[in-house]
Amino acid sequence: MSREEIYDKLNEVFQDVFDDEDITVNDSTVASDVDGWDSLEHINLIVAVERCFGIKFTMGETTGLKNVGEMVDRIIAHLG
Amino acid sequence: MSLVSSLFLVFVAAVLLLYYIVPKSIRLWVVIAASLAFAAFLGFYTLLFVLISAVLCYVGGLLAGPSKSNAFRNVFTVITVVINIALLCAVKYYNVLGFAAERLNLLFGASETSNTFFLYAVPVGMSFYVLQTTGYILDCRWEKIAPEKNFFKVLLFATYFPQLMSGPMNTYANLSAEFERAKEVKFSFERISDGAVRIAWGFFKKLVIAERAAIIVNMVYGDHNTFTGWYVPIGVFFFAIQLYSDFSGCMEVVNGVSHMLGIELPENFNCPFFSKTVQEYWRRWHITLGAWLRDYILYPVLKSAPLIKIGDWAKAKFGKKNGKKVPTYIALFILWFAVGYWHGGLWNYVIGSGILHFIYIVLGMIFEPVSKKIRPKIGADKLYFRIFQSVRTFILMLTGFVFFRSATVMDAVDMYAAIFRKGGAALNWENFSSTGMDLANLIVLAVAVLLVLAVDAYKYVPSEDDKPKSAIAFLRSKGIVILWAAFMVLVVATLIFGRYGLGYDSGSFIYARI
Repeated sequence: MSREEIYDKLNEVFQDVFDDEDITVNDSTVASDVDGWDSLEHINLIVAVERCFGIKFTMGETTGLKNVGEMVDRIIAHLG
Repeated sequence: MSLVSSLFLVFVAAVLLLYYIVPKSIRLWVVIAASLAFAAFLGFYTLLFVLISAVLCYVGGLLAGPSKSNAFRNVFTVITVVINIALLCAVKYYNVLGFAAERLNLLFGASETSNTFFLYAVPVGMSFYVLQTTGYILDCRWEKIAPEKNFFKVLLFATYFPQLMSGPMNTYANLSAEFERAKEVKFSFERISDGAVRIAWGFFKKLVIAERAAIIVNMVYGDHNTFTGWYVPIGVFFFAIQLYSDFSGCMEVVNGVSHMLGIELPENFNCPFFSKTVQEYWRRWHITLGAWLRDYILYPVLKSAPLIKIGDWAKAKFGKKNGKKVPTYIALFILWFAVGYWHGGLWNYVIGSGILHFIYIVLGMIFEPVSKKIRPKIGADKLYFRIFQSVRTFILMLTGFVFFRSATVMDAVDMYAAIFRKGGAALNWENFSSTGMDLANLIVLAVAVLLVLAVDAYKYVPSEDDKPKSAIAFLRSKGIVILWAAFMVLVVATLIFGRYGLGYDSGSFIYARI
């Protein structure tokens, strides 16, 4: 799966979790850029991303991601 | 050895001297030796448990590391974490975990002194270093870090003396990076003077404010039949001041000493009493405990299979928006129970520092949509509303402090009842000052509290570049003379106004007893 394809799916996940159809994310998007992305909603997002891509993030990844770019890097790594 | 004692200052001076004169390659050995010596000063049991915890942490990390199968790693992660936590519970929290009948008594009036062996054996600071070492094992299992093969590095992490008694809690990734950096730190007069000012500020907070506020607190909490009505909120208000000055003063000393060694520790407080909401308060009060509980309890619980299943069920039942809140509330309940439980194995802590805050936070979440709609209509961007938010949050905190300082739940309930009790002492100066809070003491306390408030207000107002502000950096920017003048003022003020006369117990940091 290409990075662009991952972003297409990821945008849908973000729009669904944060209930906002206008959200589009990129490599530099961080929690403060998205309304409602707090520490509690973060886990809902992680679980939704895991389901969408059929992967499982480690707890280290769950708590250590710096931005969406890193999230995409980890998704690519998990998809192998 | 208390952190606020002349013995500790002599100890720190000796460690600093050795630390900076020995070759850099062996300076961390000085810190290890100092840490073990400090633990030994705290008592035999403290040294014993610190060593057990360090060995468990080292072995647990290796067994939880990535070289084995997942099943093997899971088993040994659970075993070592359970032993670690069980040791803490057995020694510190016997009062909650004991026999059921005895526990019922506890809820209705038994006190902490119900088991003298465990009180006698309680090692100092165990609540802090056990969580820190548990975090290390979990970090190894979750591959946040690679298990450390050098035992002495883990020993240093587990026993580092400035934070041994009261935190701040740290992760291995952070602290080991600081230790590595410290190997190259050069002696600097600036570093020592900055650390000295922080230590002096900590002594000032503890001895001038906390010990003085304690006069009123002890008076009101100690006699609900005499000190009724307005005395109760006054007593709880001064307890908030006492607790904040006590714990944040302790942290000033800890961070100041560590700064002198070139090892930076995370801040535990960031102007908590200016918080707009209860959630924000907990991001500003005991910050490292909040971070630990978030990373090692809240996130794993929320991400666990049962909670995800409950979430799916709740979404199908109550709709997506409301349904996803159900697992969040369950996880928050577990988190806040743990917060209260950690503060002490008694129900007054579980309620006052845990469940009550859970209720406030959940109510805040439930009413957030309504509040969002109302805010623009009532001028929520105005200063008066901002002040109202902080006062409201502060008052909610006070309701919890009634439980926190009381000996039992029933004692706390009786204190609430005392607000409405008739026949107590009249609210006048003669009664108020009857246990030692004379006018001179009250003026000293008021001036000192205003000084703390001013320093916090300076830190709270964001800088233009949005970077954290430091009062010491501000003083330094005005010149070294100003910085040293501030240091001298703090030292002289503490020597003159500090309360350490007959009966003063310098080892009585409230959080060192947790």
